[in-house]
Amino acid sequence: MPHHNVKKAEAMSFSEEVTCRHGGETLTACYQCGTCASSCPVARLDSRFNPREVLKLALLGEKDELLSGDAIWLCTSCFNCQERCPQNVEIAELMFTLRNIAIEAGNSPNIYADFGGALLADGRIVAISKFVEKKREEFGLPPLKPVGVEDLNKILEATGFTKPEKKEASQ
Amino acid sequence: MSVCTMEQPKVGVFLSDCGKQLSEILDFDALTNFVKGVPNVALIARGSEFWRGKGLQTIVDAVKSGKINRVVVAESITKISDVNIAQAVENAGLNSYLVEVLDIKDHCAWPHRNAPKEATEKAKAMLLSAIERAKLLEPIEKLEFPALKSALIIGGGIGGMQTAVDLADLGFEVNLIEKQPFLGGLAARAGRFFPTDDCAICIQPPSSDVKTITHTSRKCVYRSGFGEIPNLNILTNASVVAVEGVPGNYKVGVEKKPRYVDADKCVACDKCVSVCPVEAPDAYNANLANRKAIYINVPAVHPQVYAIDEDACKFNDCAKCVSVCPTGAIDLDQKPEQVTFNVGSIIVATGFKEFDASAIKEYHYDNYPDVITNLELARMIDGFGPTGGAIVRPSDGKPAKKIVFVQCAGSRDRRYNPYCSGICCMISLKNASLVKEANPDAEISICYIDIRTTGREHEYYYERARDMGIKFVKGRPTEIYADEEKGKLIVDVEDALLKRFLDLEADLVVLATSMVPAEGTAELAELLGLDLEADGFFKEYNAKLRPTETKQKGIFLCGGATFPKDAPTASLHAHSAALKAAKFLNSGKIVKDLRTAYINDEYCGDCEFCPVMCPFGAITLEPTTENHFVARVNDLLCEGCGVCVGTCPLNAIELKNSKSTQLAAQMDALLSVNGTSKPLVLAICCQECGHTAVDSSGMAKMEYPANVRIIKVPCAGIVRVNQILDAFKAGAQGVMIVGCKTDGCHYEVGSENAEKKADSAKVLLKEYGIEPERLEMFKMVYIEGAQFAEAAKMMTERVAKLGPLKLMGDS
Amino acid sequence: MKSYAIFLGCTIPARQPNYELSARKTLEKLGVELVDLDNFTCCCPAPIQSINLDSSQAVAAYNICLAEEAGLDIVALCNGCFESLAMANAALKKDKKLKAHINEVLAKVGKEFKGTIEVKDFLQVLMEDIGLEAIKEKVVKPLSSLKVAPFYGCHSLRPSKLLQLDDPERPQIFENLLEALGAEPLEYRNKLKCCGGLLKGISDDTALELAREKLTNTTKAGADCISTLCPFCFVALDIGQIQVKAKFQEVYDMPILHYSELLALALGVDPEELALRSHKIKADKVIEKIA
Repeated sequence: MPHHNVKKAEAMSFSEEVTCRHGGETLTACYQCGTCASSCPVARLDSRFNPREVLKLALLGEKDELLSGDAIWLCTSCFNCQERCPQNVEIAELMFTLRNIAIEAGNSPNIYADFGGALLADGRIVAISKFVEKKREEFGLPPLKPVGVEDLNKILEATGFTKPEKKEASQ
Repeated sequence: MSVCTMEQPKVGVFLSDCGKQLSEILDFDALTNFVKGVPNVALIARGSEFWRGKGLQTIVDAVKSGKINRVVVAESITKISDVNIAQAVENAGLNSYLVEVLDIKDHCAWPHRNAPKEATEKAKAMLLSAIERAKLLEPIEKLEFPALKSALIIGGGIGGMQTAVDLADLGFEVNLIEKQPFLGGLAARAGRFFPTDDCAICIQPPSSDVKTITHTSRKCVYRSGFGEIPNLNILTNASVVAVEGVPGNYKVGVEKKPRYVDADKCVACDKCVSVCPVEAPDAYNANLANRKAIYINVPAVHPQVYAIDEDACKFNDCAKCVSVCPTGAIDLDQKPEQVTFNVGSIIVATGFKEFDASAIKEYHYDNYPDVITNLELARMIDGFGPTGGAIVRPSDGKPAKKIVFVQCAGSRDRRYNPYCSGICCMISLKNASLVKEANPDAEISICYIDIRTTGREHEYYYERARDMGIKFVKGRPTEIYADEEKGKLIVDVEDALLKRFLDLEADLVVLATSMVPAEGTAELAELLGLDLEADGFFKEYNAKLRPTETKQKGIFLCGGATFPKDAPTASLHAHSAALKAAKFLNSGKIVKDLRTAYINDEYCGDCEFCPVMCPFGAITLEPTTENHFVARVNDLLCEGCGVCVGTCPLNAIELKNSKSTQLAAQMDALLSVNGTSKPLVLAICCQECGHTAVDSSGMAKMEYPANVRIIKVPCAGIVRVNQILDAFKAGAQGVMIVGCKTDGCHYEVGSENAEKKADSAKVLLKEYGIEPERLEMFKMVYIEGAQFAEAAKMMTERVAKLGPLKLMGDS
Repeated sequence: MKSYAIFLGCTIPARQPNYELSARKTLEKLGVELVDLDNFTCCCPAPIQSINLDSSQAVAAYNICLAEEAGLDIVALCNGCFESLAMANAALKKDKKLKAHINEVLAKVGKEFKGTIEVKDFLQVLMEDIGLEAIKEKVVKPLSSLKVAPFYGCHSLRPSKLLQLDDPERPQIFENLLEALGAEPLEYRNKLKCCGGLLKGISDDTALELAREKLTNTTKAGADCISTLCPFCFVALDIGQIQVKAKFQEVYDMPILHYSELLALALGVDPEELALRSHKIKADKVIEKIA
């Protein structure tokens, strides 16, 4: 979050771009202490992902590496980093922001295309089959209420939601 | 002896052409003729300079002759010439407040040098304004207030003690109040201080040559003769509970808790300790050991008198100590005492303490005994401490071989303390090195975000630590957990430089905790009427130039009370506070020009705004009848800013020497002569910053148009909304208010208030059908002269574009 | 009698009838009315937030509006739904500008976020509306001698500033509610660590490693079962156990039961009515132990 009234540069740097977006506002508070890295359940197991590193790359403006690489998709959104961060950097949110930017640029694991498509079509990310609806009856569960798909689609359109692209080669 | 001013004003006008520099630009003949035509001008003189030498003598002669009783001088470098002229006039028998000096060079000739005709017209307006003001000036007297040559120092740590020695040496009566039973503060527990690694409780003894103590001595508290200085009164177990009075004459109520041991009889033989049946956790020694209910912290303290912990002692149910004491020094019936001190100044030396790391739950300071702080480690390192210098695990007393330091525990942390505490890197480096030196087999790691070794000789500590084989891990641990199987603590940290996850095993984890204000800081600030900064420490009057002063004239700050500091800095700070207090008290009196605010009781309307707004707490409310009260200004505390004047909704307050009638006359005069093709713009500039920005724009020969007329006020906060509207009525097409930057306002709220008033005025202007953009608030400092020139040009252009003002009622 | 709008989300109706069953039955027994509202949509959890944060927040707000219109607080069974809705609720209540911005979007579907309701998770409803004492009283089959490893999951506690469910480092609400049933809640290493559920389909290896760690640590602590709050955690540890067995040749035989299922058993609900067959790791030995 900006401290001073600094004049904005002519061309926004990548890190500025991120701080102007939903979820990215706190990026520049990061001072690379690494608390997030040791808090992260994934970083220990997979060297492709290290939250401190992701933030560093964002701060330095390494757009290509971030948006076309694997790293940002490996966050499990457990929020442990955000909870422990001494600078209140919203690290988990930042991962979402970076993913938002990557998807706008046409990069994402194919599974997100499925999620997006399901949401637009059914208003749910997991489809409910007829079989499941029948089972509900057997269990004595009340029938499911209708989903507000129309309203949902209006809201998604008004907020610029687009279904992510599916890639040919597997991610 | 002042000249009687009930008579008609007779104004002497002295025009300096600065060695003919100014007459090349301004038409001095025209100016002289103009001034001749102004009523009540009794004398006009022209010369090369009037602020010294022959020129100044001219003024003095004119005053002495009785020809004039008001002095107007058009000079240059007014900040210097003003003082000279005022002094000379005072000596000649005329009150110095009947003098008005205007800067005809930096405010006219130089900025408008490329439009000499316009400059001359503006100079006429400036002269007229000065003359009209001079006619309305009134003499202002001085008043003397007593300043008792005594001080009360709150806090007996190294800061308080050093200040006490200085002031006692200078001959003042000093009372040193310490809330613990023993002096020394943090130093006493820390053992050794960097950068010298020697004793922490070292102080500079009094300068009087006592046997064995020479001028070169540095001695620890109990050996320095500190307790024997004749005009130094030390009270331990004592805290401040009430403060009344004014600078130079404070009444401080102190409550002295009973020690239960008579200081005049105790011979520190320790017999009482050996018979005392009660054990209590020894907080001084980080609860690493117990102590008895009667105790002395360590051998080397002051006073060398035992004390009883009244929460642990069984008193008359036991009384074993009483019977065994060889001198009958123990008195279990001692009661708390209330003592009042009447002193001239107060010095706050309450220091800081370690942040309670229990808040950082993931570090388990609260429930793992082997997670300790640096101060607690220092107790172990100290040979006088609970382990006799052995570094052990508090959980089982076994030697601690693997030690991991965690830096910034609670510092640089927006969840707790966002600031860097400054000294903790050095403390850890010092402690780590001391431990390693005494225990070469110890394995020590320091986990850090950044290593800060900024002071003199500090980098050496870092080098030495690395040389000794202490390891450094760049990473802030996320968690400390206990591995029961291994019987060790594990510090979970990423080494960012290696990009490797480490599970550091530790016998002992040392948290380099943040440093926070001492216990009771907020309450004390309330008692003393002092402000705290956002970080909770006492606010320095000006961080750059006056770090040991506060906005209360007679109250000073020293040491860690304003921010964590190391010993050398605390020492410097202490001496600074002593010097400031000494300067304040030295003459035994405070001489004050009564250029203060005063209330018109008739209008004062029970609203309570002004006491709240006054930055100096100089206004109180006094009941006059059952249902009515009026505000009263304390002449000693009033700093003459005028914020109250601008605050009062009923215009019931006036400031001497800046009365609304005076300002109105100046405004009218400034706007009565245009002489340019441009619309007149009035700039109301504050004396502290805004007006100085105008000075510097002229001094740097920047240019701006001559239709911009300057009026000086003590603080932008004095401006009332109706005065802004009056400016438009008087002929201004645009109005600028130029004040200090909000955070840097010399009167705290003045600039901010002025901005709010400008906003209100804009709303009113709109109602009157006047474009609100004709009014603008600017904030700048002295060196921003260029900004003033830009602002003046900008306003001129803007107002010119808007066209002539149409006032309500104009056809 | 307190009423709540029950927010089922997507995963529970699709895959976890057992969770829904036990939740409905227990809340009924405890005197809480559950209302099923029309038009609830997906709450837009992490997978959708990854696509568009603005959309996700607006959709979450939309769902809250539905409950506001019905004058009901929401109880969300799934941690993901709880987080998505509770975070949006807290953020919009705090930030006037954000609220105005979202309401501009919601106006297009004739809705307005007012900030009048609370979003709670299952444990909160039990604690706040029923209370430990009342639950203790209604227990007919105390789960004595049952050692339960509570697993909060990530999104019930974090980010704590917005969710405010319990102390994020030392939570007690789950443990207290287990004790109320007569069970013994266990401490175990890395109790609050993620199950890896959201990595399924992205990095199955890491997901399995994390599930495996949870199973190892709870086994070490001597747990008879793991109790969950979130359907994703359930699946990660339940089906996950089979995948762990396949990959690492390790058998844990650790039944996974939602708290609501343990609660149902303690309140005397017949195990046959709880769709426990849908668990991949059978809960038989748990049922035997508490009989």
